[in-house]
Amino acid sequence: MENMDNNQRPFEPYEIQMGPQHPATHGVLKLDLELDGETVIGCKPTVGFLHRGVEKLSENLTYAQALPLTDRLDYIASMANNVVYSNAVETLLGIEVPERAKFIRTMVMEMARITGHLLWLATHALDIGAMTVFLYCFREREQLLDLFEEVCGARLTTTYTCIGGVRQDVTGHFLETLYKFTEEFPSRVREYETLIDQNRIWLKRTQGVGIVSKEDAVSLGLTGPSLRASGVDYDVRKHLPFDAYSEVEFEVPIGKKGDVYDRYRCRMEELLQSNRIIKQCIEKLPPGPIRADDSPDLVMPFSKKCVTADATFKSGVIKLVEDRKHYMEGDVYVSGECPKGELGFYFVSDGKGRPYRMHIRSPSYIHIGALPFLCKGQMVADVIAIIGSLDVVLGECDR
Amino acid sequence: MMAAGSSHHDLDRFGIIFRASPRQADAMIVAGTVTQKMAPVVRRVYDQMPEPRYVIAMGSCACSGGVFRTYHTVQGADDFIPVDVYVPGCPPRPEALLEGFIRLQEKINKEELRWSRWR
Amino acid sequence: MEPLEIAELLKKRFPGQVIEIKESRNQVGVLVKKGRILEICRWLHDDPRLQFNHLADLCGVDYLGKRDCRFEVVYNLYSIPLRHRIRIRAQVPEEDCKIDSVTSIWMGANWHERECYDLFGIEFVGHPDLRRILLPEGWEGHPLRKDYPLDGGGKNWSGYEEIRKKAKDLRQFDFYGDYPDPTKEKELKDVAGKDGEYGQ
Repeated sequence: MENMDNNQRPFEPYEIQMGPQHPATHGVLKLDLELDGETVIGCKPTVGFLHRGVEKLSENLTYAQALPLTDRLDYIASMANNVVYSNAVETLLGIEVPERAKFIRTMVMEMARITGHLLWLATHALDIGAMTVFLYCFREREQLLDLFEEVCGARLTTTYTCIGGVRQDVTGHFLETLYKFTEEFPSRVREYETLIDQNRIWLKRTQGVGIVSKEDAVSLGLTGPSLRASGVDYDVRKHLPFDAYSEVEFEVPIGKKGDVYDRYRCRMEELLQSNRIIKQCIEKLPPGPIRADDSPDLVMPFSKKCVTADATFKSGVIKLVEDRKHYMEGDVYVSGECPKGELGFYFVSDGKGRPYRMHIRSPSYIHIGALPFLCKGQMVADVIAIIGSLDVVLGECDR
Repeated sequence: MMAAGSSHHDLDRFGIIFRASPRQADAMIVAGTVTQKMAPVVRRVYDQMPEPRYVIAMGSCACSGGVFRTYHTVQGADDFIPVDVYVPGCPPRPEALLEGFIRLQEKINKEELRWSRWR
Repeated sequence: MEPLEIAELLKKRFPGQVIEIKESRNQVGVLVKKGRILEICRWLHDDPRLQFNHLADLCGVDYLGKRDCRFEVVYNLYSIPLRHRIRIRAQVPEEDCKIDSVTSIWMGANWHERECYDLFGIEFVGHPDLRRILLPEGWEGHPLRKDYPLDGGGKNWSGYEEIRKKAKDLRQFDFYGDYPDPTKEKELKDVAGKDGEYGQ
């Protein structure tokens, strides 16, 4: 009976589970939170609910066949994944991409960045409680998705690039519509800003929440806008320029404090910079071929390296891909700047037509890995804001 | 699914509203690949729904496993829950999802004895 | 600094540890022994000439039947202030499937190493929380090893089998109790895709 004294009862944290089908976690992420009152003292993310074995599967596919799988990684900006994957395979095979294809790739990658950031803004605002932004963002996003559909036939899973170029050329109508879009897009961004930038609730819920310092951000492996909001100038587009990024002008927005608000500001600035890059790409788009001559992809009939008539379609393609002489042995790591952060592909080749090992360095995976650090000491309601500000996609995280 | 719910396609005009809890839901959309780790969770959500309940498998992956014939992927959500409507496509267009809902409504119309007669 | 210079520096600093320096596609990979990997990484991170503060990628590779030493752990490092990069590959033999953890240098290595442990079965000594991450607890085998079949050899996770059994038991209470038996369909599916290989 003497143990009944309340004051001497040992402290027990209150445990709650968020997910995996919680609507605010952008997919199937599960968080085991330990609470002391309303303060988070421990956070254990569980991932893997969408682990489909893409890496194992692609070891059994040819390089060209594995390209559509990259659409399913980050399914809200799949163009960017296509571009980075193609770049990696081209580096491995030593294929030089024509100039026009480079500009088209840069253009679609920035379009993907805008769609990705718009979806992020929509859902992030929805999580925090600003419903209207969701509807506004989807207005512009649908315009871009319609453009994607015009250029490759699909809204989300695009598979637009191929190894050695892009699959189809852009049309004049596409460029005109896109130019019109870039003309009016800055005013749209201002519209979103008027909705939330002056909003006192928004500021209170984002400023000073989830602060991560410069050193910690680098050590945690954060990339993309989440890293730049902490004041580190690391952008793969500037550091290791790929495609046509060395030929267009743009600035990389850098934050100061590294809180949720700075991450939001960085992404809003990036929307405008992406818009600027698209505009320059349209203006500078050179004429010429859109695919390298020695592209080992599934070949469309207009190329001279068409499948021979006597071979069946299936075996012909595989033969074409696997017979190439310059599949050298070796390994290569190539990364690109996706909307979420640095997406990297590490290939090991054993001289055959299939990757011996493919590893995907997905930014979302690292960002979720940083959640325990970021959430510690925060209020439980702010956990939602922090997850939202990191911009994670579970398809990419679990692979 | 998000695009279908937003202003462009607008699911609300059919009277279809997203609920945050399975206990208030009539239909469940299984969107995306179901893995073996996810299967117990999906089943639990299904078990929490009140009768009458319906399941829409949205996307090739939920219908049949799609391209992912791998060690951790469930080859079709109908392996462990009864599915009423299959919506193919990877991912399905918003229109396809709307069509799936309309088909589900047709199916419900034909059902006898499942609902009370005052429905 | 040029990557080859860094590799030479590394060879001079740690004599006897570097097995091979290989350049392919302008990227330099250094093959090292696993014994002093923690010291090597610490030096790469701390040396003012190098400052490799960004661990871009960490993954395992399985060379079953190709090389004497079965596994390799690959570290892709990048220096944000100095803008150079290098790749360190550490040999891990199958008999002694352990390597020192680098989480004390880069916090971000935590989940990379857990993934590597999950999919390859390489143990990281000194890791704070080494559990399976992508696959559920109780999973048998390590899928990314080359001797693991792509479709898992027809075996399912025990937790999933439980769910299937529960679904089978509860089916009699469903309104459409007579929907096709998935186990029977499964057999049909298996016949259709017997080879299990894509495009062959």
